[in-house]
Amino acid sequence: MEVQNAAHRDANQVSVRLGAEELSKRYGNIEANRDVSIAVAPGEIHAIVGENGAGKSTLMRMLQGIEQPDSGRIIVDDQIVSLSGPQRAFALGIGMVHQEFMLAPDLTLLENLVLGDEPVYRAFGAASRINWPAALESGERLAREAAAHVDWSRTVLTTPVHIQQFVEIIRLLRRGTRILILDEPTAVLAPQQVEDLFDLLRKLREDGTTILFISHKLKEVMALADRVTVIRRGEVRYSSPVAETDTDTIAGHMVGGLDTPVATARPTSASKIETDDVVLDVQMLTTPIVEKSHPLRGVDLHIGRGEIVGLAGVSGNGQNELVECLVGLRDSDGGTVSLAGQDITHLSNQHRRALGIGYVSADRRHEGLALQASVEANVIAGSQRKAPVSKGGFFDRKAMRQVAEKRLAFVDVRYGVLNDAAGDLSGGNQQRLVFAREIAADPSLLIVSQPTRGVDLVGIAAIHAILSDFRNSGGSVLLVSEELDEILALSDRILVMADGKIVGEMNAAEADIGTIGKLMVMQGGGDG
Amino acid sequence: MIVDQIIAASLTLTTPILLAAMGGLVNRQGGIVNIALDAKMLAGAFVAVIVSSATDGWFIAVLAAAIAGALIGYLYSLVITRANANMIVAGLGLNVLVAGMIGFVLNWVYDSSGTLRLPDVQRLPKFLPEFMYDIPVVGLALSELEPLTVFAWITVLVLPFLLANTRIGLWIRATGNAPQVARAMGISGRNVQDFSTAFAGFFSGLGGAHLALASIGLFNEGLTAGRGFIALAAFYFGRDRPIATALVCLLFGFLDATQIRMQTAGLPPKLIGTIPYLMVLVALCIAGWRNHRRKAVSS
Repeated sequence: MEVQNAAHRDANQVSVRLGAEELSKRYGNIEANRDVSIAVAPGEIHAIVGENGAGKSTLMRMLQGIEQPDSGRIIVDDQIVSLSGPQRAFALGIGMVHQEFMLAPDLTLLENLVLGDEPVYRAFGAASRINWPAALESGERLAREAAAHVDWSRTVLTTPVHIQQFVEIIRLLRRGTRILILDEPTAVLAPQQVEDLFDLLRKLREDGTTILFISHKLKEVMALADRVTVIRRGEVRYSSPVAETDTDTIAGHMVGGLDTPVATARPTSASKIETDDVVLDVQMLTTPIVEKSHPLRGVDLHIGRGEIVGLAGVSGNGQNELVECLVGLRDSDGGTVSLAGQDITHLSNQHRRALGIGYVSADRRHEGLALQASVEANVIAGSQRKAPVSKGGFFDRKAMRQVAEKRLAFVDVRYGVLNDAAGDLSGGNQQRLVFAREIAADPSLLIVSQPTRGVDLVGIAAIHAILSDFRNSGGSVLLVSEELDEILALSDRILVMADGKIVGEMNAAEADIGTIGKLMVMQGGGDG
Repeated sequence: MIVDQIIAASLTLTTPILLAAMGGLVNRQGGIVNIALDAKMLAGAFVAVIVSSATDGWFIAVLAAAIAGALIGYLYSLVITRANANMIVAGLGLNVLVAGMIGFVLNWVYDSSGTLRLPDVQRLPKFLPEFMYDIPVVGLALSELEPLTVFAWITVLVLPFLLANTRIGLWIRATGNAPQVARAMGISGRNVQDFSTAFAGFFSGLGGAHLALASIGLFNEGLTAGRGFIALAAFYFGRDRPIATALVCLLFGFLDATQIRMQTAGLPPKLIGTIPYLMVLVALCIAGWRNHRRKAVSS
């Protein structure tokens, strides 16, 4: 490809192909990026790692011209540039593959490839006739160079996701992209497809393309990247050539609290719990391989009465899928789930709720609350068919108001009037509202996912207090969180999940952040 | 012969619906559901009669009608794409507005309530040689064939090619399918939508000109009789594909022709007159049910 050859030629004269110098960006009170500096050399694969919410996406959006930095400079080819918008970044050769692909689903792959830059027979403005044979020829050539086979006449909708990703990448190259930014490209891929993608990226590097690779899977970073930069809480915490570092060191900087490599430590198994007291028992739970999810590969766990079990793990290792299986929102294809001795593997979400499972979703804005509905409707939802709220098929408005007020007061939700929309509350109060509803049904088990995401410090303390109180009154909790501090602070017992399995278990008293961090990046023990 | 008459009448009654539907389907492929086709047909018919009378030329009258439709369509599009108006509400408003304006002009300029009868209105010419009129079965239809009907059916055949093989065709489909993708690829979705809406207006204007100039040569406030909405139903049912849509238009035209014959056969005319519209409802129900099933299968 001509453009890449051009990139190759001047590779020797340029020291920084793409760089950031002290970039900062605030959103309200949240400092998404603080003095972030990175330098990507020409022809380098540079990995940016960090947990969700660490600030990777903000950085990428600034490098792509979608967001403007509050302060700092962006460098392209050793020159300071002003990226006024995505078109400007694109013109400078910066192209990004988002997690949501930019492909029109009902158009064919070939139509998507040339869209906006069509080869024509004779230039006649918008009315020019597109030279489809030439378009196909260029698509075939790009595919051949990458040793891939693409059926260009298929629509995107009927194309497997890894082919879609491939088309997305070569479309950028066809338009002259020299700096390729990939946002968690492997999240949607099966293992063999990941290998194919990496082969492609290595080949592009040989041809002179510079690649910025965002990931939180360290195994992939080690396998692919030349250099790795760790971002945590909006700041660059660590940067090193991959050849001079190891996963333990990187993981330590990712989860924080560590400046030295973690010591090797054996996880200790938790003390035995009487079987009578087991509230939730999960055995060998597996899920089928579905696109855009991580399959479970045989999850075993149990939760006793009056116990908070924390589930730690790098995000995207099957935690969400496990939670969805437990609350009945996702089908499993093997194993059992029992609640207090009763097999609930194939029951509906509604049925499971009736049996005593409460669920606080990680996706508060969509699954947890109806943001445009009133505070009252949200806190009553689920109880609307039962007395005293329902009387003879009609709502008893007065009783409903009383029940709502009682529930809201129980966990101290701060609201104006009951008719306010739930979306008007602060993040912390929204989450308390969810707890108010879920606890009101007096569940025996609460499944709680990312309860303090997007919640301020006061709200976090309140939510932690709610969880502790619930446990102290005999309730059981499965707490899934990306915040290790939170898991350490609340849990009685900690499980670590990696690659769709539970890879470690320890009592909270014996746990330390280093041991957990190491387990988190083990990627399924032996087969990693 | 009754068969000859029904064939001839079906063809003639199909043309205005077909023209409006061709415009509307391009518009919908571009992401705008144009429910104001009827307004543009009405305006086209009105302009066609006035210009035909004033200039003595059918071609200039047809062209003027199309341009009037395109202009109204373009303004309608600006309201949607620049002022972010809801396309359904704006479309409804436009239908009422255009009908009201025409009524006002009729009253004010021509001192007429409802019907505009002007001298020397040039109708669409019949252009086939007379010996063809004697061909059995289709002879009558051929004798009534005029340029707009021929143009409409040529459009049906050419449009799939244009949509698939021109840049603007690709842009329209991309904008309708995934506007954010089109934008990311450097295509101005708003300009593309403005063009496609003006295109729909152009063809609706032609449809209106056909209504006014094909046989009667005068304008009436109720001339379109909801044909813009029948066109809408046609491309919904034809899933925005020109040839399928044309066949649906032909079916509606046929129903229209038979209901006129049934009225003359002594059946209650108002009741029979509802048949085409009833069929539109049925077609929309079938289209909705089909989409529903397709979604269920794919998910």
